[in-house]
Amino acid sequence: MENVFIDPFKRFIEKIAGFLPNLLTGAILIVVGFISAWIVRTIVTKTVQFLKIDRLSDRVGLGQILLRGGIRDPFSRLIGKAAYWIILISFIIMGLDALQIPAVEKLLSEFWLYLPNVIVATVIIMAGYLLGNFLGRAALIASVNAGVAIAGLLGKFVKFTVFIMAATMALELLGIGEETVLIAFAIVFGGVVLAISIAFGFGARDIARDYLDKMLREKKDEDDISHI
Amino acid sequence: MVRAVQAGFAKYFPDRKAILVNSDGGSKDGTMDVVEKLVIEDFQPFLISQRENLLSKIVTPYHGIPGKGSAFRTIFQVAKELKVKACAVVDSDLRSITPEWIDLLIRPVLDRDFDFVSPYYLRHKYDGTITNSIVYPVTRALYGKHIRQPIGGDFGFSGRLAEFYLTKDVWESDVARFGIDIWMTTTAVANDFKVCQSFLGAKIHAAKDPSSDLSAMLTQVVSALFMLMEEYPDKWKAVRATDPVPLFGFQFSVGLEPIKVNLERMISMFRLGITELGAILQEIVSPETFAGLEEAAKGSAFSLSDELWSRLIFDYALACHRKTMSAAHILKTLTPLYLGKVASLVQDMAESSADEVEARLEDLCGAYEKLKPYLIEKWQ
Repeated sequence: MENVFIDPFKRFIEKIAGFLPNLLTGAILIVVGFISAWIVRTIVTKTVQFLKIDRLSDRVGLGQILLRGGIRDPFSRLIGKAAYWIILISFIIMGLDALQIPAVEKLLSEFWLYLPNVIVATVIIMAGYLLGNFLGRAALIASVNAGVAIAGLLGKFVKFTVFIMAATMALELLGIGEETVLIAFAIVFGGVVLAISIAFGFGARDIARDYLDKMLREKKDEDDISHI
Repeated sequence: MVRAVQAGFAKYFPDRKAILVNSDGGSKDGTMDVVEKLVIEDFQPFLISQRENLLSKIVTPYHGIPGKGSAFRTIFQVAKELKVKACAVVDSDLRSITPEWIDLLIRPVLDRDFDFVSPYYLRHKYDGTITNSIVYPVTRALYGKHIRQPIGGDFGFSGRLAEFYLTKDVWESDVARFGIDIWMTTTAVANDFKVCQSFLGAKIHAAKDPSSDLSAMLTQVVSALFMLMEEYPDKWKAVRATDPVPLFGFQFSVGLEPIKVNLERMISMFRLGITELGAILQEIVSPETFAGLEEAAKGSAFSLSDELWSRLIFDYALACHRKTMSAAHILKTLTPLYLGKVASLVQDMAESSADEVEARLEDLCGAYEKLKPYLIEKWQ
């Protein structure tokens, strides 16, 4: 009777005693992580401020892009925050790993495998956003200078096409509806082009003819001014 | 052009040693052969009886970045090596050059100790609109000298100035590709070289290249102008008044070919620019300037005032200085606004004589000069 109650209790105590060092190690790692992350954030933020990266980010238009995305922090603070979270998450993962629980270990190994894809996908999305804005603006200005009446529409088309392509690539990388996203993009893009062609060919042929007439006429009516 | 230069040296500098340099950019149309072989055998039709020194020639391809600036660098180097007293450069596609141009571009250097001779042309009142509405008034307001054609392309200069040009580290920059004309003028003025102008009469080029793009041309000229503002901020900030520079040559007037202008197209381009580029323009120009532009676009009687235009150009200079966005994007948005100003000037000058046109441009220059404190205040 004594063995029935005492032995499981002993084993439980032994397990707890065996687990406690791991728990303590994990807890210490997480606390150290908080402190390290805080120190690194301060150093990184101050260094970036000292290097005047905030002004540079404003100059290249990054500040405005972040503002449009609702992010009001200066670039230096964002970099500091990113460093903070990278350090903290790394220590939390090390802390959880130190617990040596099989289920947690399995989860962590899967997370490590997936993490590079998340980072690359984020970079692709950000690059697509910046490139879309830049090329959209270039297309808009070039269209206005060429006297195209639908310049605004062309600019937006270029901007969103680039962004959607980047988003498609990112989703494919993350393995989210790989084939579906690609096919959906191809159908939508192809559909838009086909719709424009049909509209120009049939529905809007008069508009197309007038537009081409106007373009040709304006070429003939160009000025003789020598601008230089 | 080569014959005019030969006749010019023979007629006006018969006792001087002269050399003609063709700095060629790799032309495939036989230009180098023509320059090398073309010789005036008989000077009698030009009423020139005596030629003590024959004109020597150097026909050479230039090295470096392709562009007019690199071609000029070769000429400066030849001038330095030969220790020349005076030098003149002329565009190779000129149709209106006469032997007198050589005299007018070189004699002020030889006889009056000037270092830089800028051209003064007789032009149709609608021609040279980038010069008239931007380059001339901005250069004048900034550096204080009334140089009417700062990007004329045909200049005279001393050997001393050619050597000075070579000391500048710009030959791998945009100056080598384009913008050499405004660079030469501004460098001479900002470094206190003695500057004058010569009246050359009409300037007629070969037929306009149909592929030449106004937007690209405007961007190149204005970017060179703004780049020089970055080079000499202390110089132009210190200039408080503007002065005329001596003008040589006999001024005459001739009837010029009428010019076709499509006002309706220019105004509609301006309105399209304001409608479609409004969001971008608000990042470039001040709120006051943008409000003025919107007002002008709405008005039935189209007009862009000189005050608004000069503020707009200074706002563009400030936006490029602050790097508000990509410089190419900033400058390319200027095209429809520039067409608006051209349309406004054409309307104003439709019935004006040559003197009235110059008076009208004086008003425009006055507006720039009045606004200069605004530019200095905002320039950090």
